[in-house]
Amino acid sequence: MWGLPCAVLLTAALTLPLSAQTIDSAPSRPVVVRTIALDARLATDAGVRIGDTVRVSALPGDTAAERAMVGALLARRADPSEIARSEYRARLHLDQLQRLVGYGDRVDRFAILSAGDSSRAGLLATINGAAFGFRAWPSAEIAVRTSSTFQVVRRFHRAIGVITIVASAAFLLCILLLKIDERRRDVAALRMMGISPATIVSSVVLEAGIIALLGSLLGVVFGIVVARLVNWHFQGVHRTSLAFTLVTTETVLFACVLSVVLGVLAGWVAARRLVAVPALTLLGR
Amino acid sequence: MPVRLAMLALWRHPARTLLAILGIAVSAALLLDMVMLASGMRENFQGFLLLRGYQLRVAPKGTLPFDSDATIDSATALVRAIGRLPNVVAVSPVLGAQSQTTVGDSTITAFTLGIEPAVQGDYEIVRGRNLTDSGGVVVNQRWLTLARRQIGDTVTLAVGYDPQLRTVVGERTLVISGVARFFYTATTQPTVAVLLPVLQAMGGSTQRDRVSLLMVKAAAGADLEAVRNAVQLTSARISAISLEGATVQVEQRLAYFRQLALVLGSISLAVGVLLVTTLITIGVNERAGEIAVLRAIGTAKRHIVQQVVLEGLVLSVVGAVSGLLLGLLTARWLERILADFPGMPATFHFFVFQPRDAGISLGMLAAAGVVAGIYPAWRAASLPIAGTLRKEAVA
Amino acid sequence: MSAVVQVRDLARDYSMGRGSVHALRGVSFDVAQGEWVAIVGPSGCGKSTLLNLLGAVDTPDAGALTIAGQRIDKLGDAAATAFRLRHIGFVFQRFYLMPALSAAENIELPMAEAKVPRAERRARVGELLGYVGLAGRADHRPSQLSGGEQQRVAIARALANRPALLLADEPTGELDAATGREMIELFRRLNVDGTTIVVVTHDAQMASAAARRIQMRDGAIVEEAAE
Repeated sequence: MWGLPCAVLLTAALTLPLSAQTIDSAPSRPVVVRTIALDARLATDAGVRIGDTVRVSALPGDTAAERAMVGALLARRADPSEIARSEYRARLHLDQLQRLVGYGDRVDRFAILSAGDSSRAGLLATINGAAFGFRAWPSAEIAVRTSSTFQVVRRFHRAIGVITIVASAAFLLCILLLKIDERRRDVAALRMMGISPATIVSSVVLEAGIIALLGSLLGVVFGIVVARLVNWHFQGVHRTSLAFTLVTTETVLFACVLSVVLGVLAGWVAARRLVAVPALTLLGR
Repeated sequence: MPVRLAMLALWRHPARTLLAILGIAVSAALLLDMVMLASGMRENFQGFLLLRGYQLRVAPKGTLPFDSDATIDSATALVRAIGRLPNVVAVSPVLGAQSQTTVGDSTITAFTLGIEPAVQGDYEIVRGRNLTDSGGVVVNQRWLTLARRQIGDTVTLAVGYDPQLRTVVGERTLVISGVARFFYTATTQPTVAVLLPVLQAMGGSTQRDRVSLLMVKAAAGADLEAVRNAVQLTSARISAISLEGATVQVEQRLAYFRQLALVLGSISLAVGVLLVTTLITIGVNERAGEIAVLRAIGTAKRHIVQQVVLEGLVLSVVGAVSGLLLGLLTARWLERILADFPGMPATFHFFVFQPRDAGISLGMLAAAGVVAGIYPAWRAASLPIAGTLRKEAVA
Repeated sequence: MSAVVQVRDLARDYSMGRGSVHALRGVSFDVAQGEWVAIVGPSGCGKSTLLNLLGAVDTPDAGALTIAGQRIDKLGDAAATAFRLRHIGFVFQRFYLMPALSAAENIELPMAEAKVPRAERRARVGELLGYVGLAGRADHRPSQLSGGEQQRVAIARALANRPALLLADEPTGELDAATGREMIELFRRLNVDGTTIVVVTHDAQMASAAARRIQMRDGAIVEEAAE
């Protein structure tokens, strides 16, 4: 999508020296110095500030480089598709870039602001009817098409989540079976006193549910702390404001409901197993 | 006898033993998958780059191959210069572009490669013939299916549009000579290849003597870094990328998966250890009386520890072996998910099974299971015999 | 007859919160080779504590204890365990058989620990099962045996390594009267065959079957009576 200009921008960026000392102070030709906007990370790494002059060219080592003044710094967008890419970005005036790269009167794309939703469909039809060699798309459709990478990542995360839940469920059921088995003599004594199996199962299920709820609340707190740590770490590494992990209300609710359901189910299974055994057998007689 | 006692102790509670094995197996499966993900990507990527033996890539300055539409000029002279370097065996120039083919009312946009058949490293012929002259084109199955053509048919490819004249530019009529499997594009991506001079001519003056990429093959045993440095010095407008350099760059792009693999792998190991420790601890606490009796009749502490540790070992080993099988299945499932990444080459795999890595990771789980049993076993064997028996009698 | 057991001023205290309980206060007595001694007394008098000390499962706070010619009051854990394996046979009130093992395997346990060869173990198991009248129950699990049968297996286990001393803690405590009488008869036969026995019991019949009775109260011996 970015095509040649991106390569030029990157090349231009890489021709910039990584120290302010090599910034040229004498103009190579008497032209008006235009302003450009530089990636804030590049500015930090190269020691460049707003007001400094840099040389911009389409090819590395090009002696016909133009001088430009840094007029603004660009903060990195919180765009997941850019995170993994370390190249710098810059913004030039359109005509300056066209001239630098020899594009002539060409662009890679237009962005169109329509008067409103009602006029958008008609506008699309008009443009596409007249288009030759290009096409107009609603921005939302572009977003969907370009988000397929994240759809894959989402499915991957979900698959990992399923595996983790299966392991946790097995772990939980195993531990509950153990803990409830430990109380076999207590259960036997209750049965011999005349307490019904239903009462025993209900109390075990209630206990398991409470433990699961308390555990899930603790887990939520832990998850929020870890999410903050993850964001702090990766935002620092990638120098971005992108949130890498989000703890939403839906996520919290899902986690709590799932753990309570699993806990109650595990408690029910363990309790049912125990009350199905005759009391005397539980006592080892 | 300790072995028998250990096996009997596990068999006494089949439900809890099976559940513990299931929990350990799933943890082991996840651990194995994460190890495969972490180490496999690197190994697979390097193998992927070396499919035809080209160890170096030359791309426009500051870019990775086909990372952008940038091209290298004066390609002929550059190829000659690199070819004359010591230890350089072959140089394969490649130009990339988009081509359009009209089929009925629709247009097929294909990724188009301009190559030199004698040294190309981008595809292998599956059916038909390779390119022999400027009138031929090699296509992949996807393109063939979309175009509803077969080998021997004539097709027209164009590489651009002139919106003012409302015509296509760079048109060429070609004959389909063969069907190929392209290594570096997705099977869902229509891809075609023509002779390099043909594609350069189709691109007009903007593509004259330009290439997107050079692949360089060094002699066996040559110092790759030295060759890379020599190639880099041939022009200021290129970046020479070694296998290691390319791997590092791609690893940066895929760093997320490696970090995820590390975190999830560690958690899986911890969960497996926790499960074994908990099971052994609770099981040993349940049998405190039995253990006290064994001590009372003269069983040495170390034999009791041995028995309990054996229980942990059996659980861990059976869990780890089950986890190996389960892990291979889940890896296939996860691989199918990740294969849907747009543009993912068909020959690239995220999960690569390497026996050594699998052995180390599952061995770690099994060993951790053993260690997990030592402390609870020692504690139980060290309980005062008389006091424990009295407590059991009261209970 | 030489003394298998020599107890001199044995004392044992247990700390309970702020104070301590003197479970044994300077107890002294001997048990001769082939003798059958019953230790009786009310609950909490220290008889089980004394039995545990005799069995080297506990260590005294003061005094000297010699069994089969060896001082055992100062033995470390490993040495005490090894001593128990070869010289002491323990019979518990609640049998304490391994539930997952058969009767034969339970009897075999101490011999396996003592590294007795398998063939010899099997032969000894057969001999002991016959001796206690359970020749046909070798493969039965404890859950398939009655209380009396379980206690017989426990006695056979205690005799596996031909110990110098057989200690029994309330061996008839979990048995009905008739089974208890059978147990007393078995003990009598063991003693006639030369086994030195010290039994702690509340059972008057068991106590009167023994050759000597030691009466305890509040951690001390108050009376000794011979048959």
